[in-house]
Amino acid sequence: MVEPILEVGGLVKHYPLTQGVLFKRQVGAVKAVDGVDFTLHKGETLGIVGESGCGKSTVAKMLVNLERPTQGLIKYKGEDITKLSGKALKSVRRNIQMVFQDPYTSLNPRMTVGDIIGEPYDIHPEVAPKGDRRKKVQDLLDVVGLNPEYINRYPHQFSGGQRQRIGIARGLALRPEVIVADEPVSALDVSVQAQVINLLDRLQSDFELSYLFIAHDLSIVRHISDRVGVMYLGRIVEIGKDAEIYDHPTHPYTQALLSAVPVPDPEAREHRERIILAGDVPSPTNIPSGCRFRTRCWKARERCALEVPALAVPAEFRHTNGPEAHDSACHFAETLSVSPSTPGGAVPPEEPE
Amino acid sequence: MLLEVRDLHVEFRTRDGVAKAVNGVDYAVDAGETLAVLGESGSGKSVTAQAIMGILDTPPGKVTGGEIVFQGQDLLTLKEDERRRIRGAEMAMIFQDALSSLNPVLSVGDQLGEMFVVHRGMSKKDARAKAVELMDHVRIPAAKERVKDYPHQFSGGMRQRIMIAMALALEPALIIADEPTTALDVTVQAQVMDLLAELQREYHMGLILITHDLGVVADVADRIAVMYAGRIVEQAPVHDIYKAPAHPYTRGLLDSIPRLDQKGQELYAIKGLPPNLMNIPPGCAFNPRCPMARDVCRTDVPPLYEVDGGVDGMDKRDDMDGGRTSACHFWTECLHG
Repeated sequence: MVEPILEVGGLVKHYPLTQGVLFKRQVGAVKAVDGVDFTLHKGETLGIVGESGCGKSTVAKMLVNLERPTQGLIKYKGEDITKLSGKALKSVRRNIQMVFQDPYTSLNPRMTVGDIIGEPYDIHPEVAPKGDRRKKVQDLLDVVGLNPEYINRYPHQFSGGQRQRIGIARGLALRPEVIVADEPVSALDVSVQAQVINLLDRLQSDFELSYLFIAHDLSIVRHISDRVGVMYLGRIVEIGKDAEIYDHPTHPYTQALLSAVPVPDPEAREHRERIILAGDVPSPTNIPSGCRFRTRCWKARERCALEVPALAVPAEFRHTNGPEAHDSACHFAETLSVSPSTPGGAVPPEEPE
Repeated sequence: MLLEVRDLHVEFRTRDGVAKAVNGVDYAVDAGETLAVLGESGSGKSVTAQAIMGILDTPPGKVTGGEIVFQGQDLLTLKEDERRRIRGAEMAMIFQDALSSLNPVLSVGDQLGEMFVVHRGMSKKDARAKAVELMDHVRIPAAKERVKDYPHQFSGGMRQRIMIAMALALEPALIIADEPTTALDVTVQAQVMDLLAELQREYHMGLILITHDLGVVADVADRIAVMYAGRIVEQAPVHDIYKAPAHPYTRGLLDSIPRLDQKGQELYAIKGLPPNLMNIPPGCAFNPRCPMARDVCRTDVPPLYEVDGGVDGMDKRDDMDGGRTSACHFWTECLHG
């Protein structure tokens, strides 16, 4: 197998909680990301799904070095970039760019579109010589489907979908190999989301990009991703090919998440059993022992409180070659069809004790 | 009918011109019924709701025409103090963002109790007891202890439950929920929608659910009204609209949902952008984005056609519940095509 373009191992980000004014002492930590591993290959899209507070955005920030990891490795083409600084770091960062969620706050309102998209060239002048920049920016506008004549306009003159195209053009300016897209369409209207998804799809094949696509909309993630990872409270609980995760989920959290997604088909209403999880996500300052999902899991037993389940192919599926044989961090993993197309597929959970 | 909105018009007069936010909206909700109002931002779905509640920002907003008949009475002819007595007691609203809709410096118990003090003239002590009862009812654990807590001490899902409790406090006949679960996570959204549906059945309330999510609509609605540029472009029973939309905008929305069998293909996308409300295109407002648009669409505003599925010699579709309207000159083509 070819070497992955990105390899993340044991990634941890803890934000310390301190007490006292003069003599600050650490009283705890917000464990935003608590041991995440994944790989990303060239031209591949890895989707990350999870609810708010699960750490998916923190992972994104660490990949583009907006946050320094507390622990762990981020290898770009085999080189650990968490230890880099200065020139070496700068040249690596050129290759990993980010597209942000909110196109309203991620563009400077006092800069023209040309300045926004061209700004990366000020930091990395070797990519485009000065006289060449305007042309390059206009080409980028064209690539993302905006009129190149708009180069002197300001962000407020554009709609949300157009602004997101500007954000994407800025991300592409340095010809990166990896794009980290953090909820790139969730701030957009439904009829505009599809346009932006199609644009991202086209750019990926045109420029051989690898995407880390973070979103909470499960149907969009499935559409665009080759593989999908499900995060819960700072960890990936299940990861695999899109069909493995969506059609053969083995982790109870994934099953609950998928079953809770409203399906745009009123016929499915009657014969759909939803798994309604009890309670809220625990605080990341006080993560449950053992399996972190056990406080909301209907299958939790004594072992779940004692032993942290590893993210690996569960023992019972290790010798099968079927779609259920993918990494799942559950002691009692089993397949459960929660796809709404199969009537009566999901079994409602018993009350947790 | 519990509520009938007839030919409602709302404008916003701003420095840059007049924005026509609502341009002739008709809809009706009966007791125990759920009407979903579906639309993108700027379609006028929330402004219509604000006009019904009487909480429109005036100025710049102004109701320029139409009737809002609630329990047989046209609300637009009432004086403000009469409307205030209805608001909260007879109709209530649940907002999208519970954190900014709740008062951060009052405990949730005080805010819930206020409903009873103001509308029912209860003593503070009785009101507090009522607040605990309500919090129990919307299944907030340990209600008795948490009644003294402030909004920021609750999670998003719990805050939305408090909003629901507040809306339900005086057992109104109508609830308007404006994107009640948009700010919530999927698993919490399922909890909150379930609760809302259950309480609606219990109190036999009319519910207007404003949303942009086709999934949520399919889960809970009886009828759907699709809004575009301040008009209802299609109205139908929920099963009909998903089976065969009678307006190209509805069709476009349904087609742009990623489907399993389209993986790796381009998604259907409605071209262009929603119109500027200060400059709505002549004729049908959707015509610049419509794949079916012809000359007549650019000149004539389509009236509301009754959709019965059985015209022009085409087969009448027996699988339809009927009672639907479409604002498209070529709705038959859309329905059968």
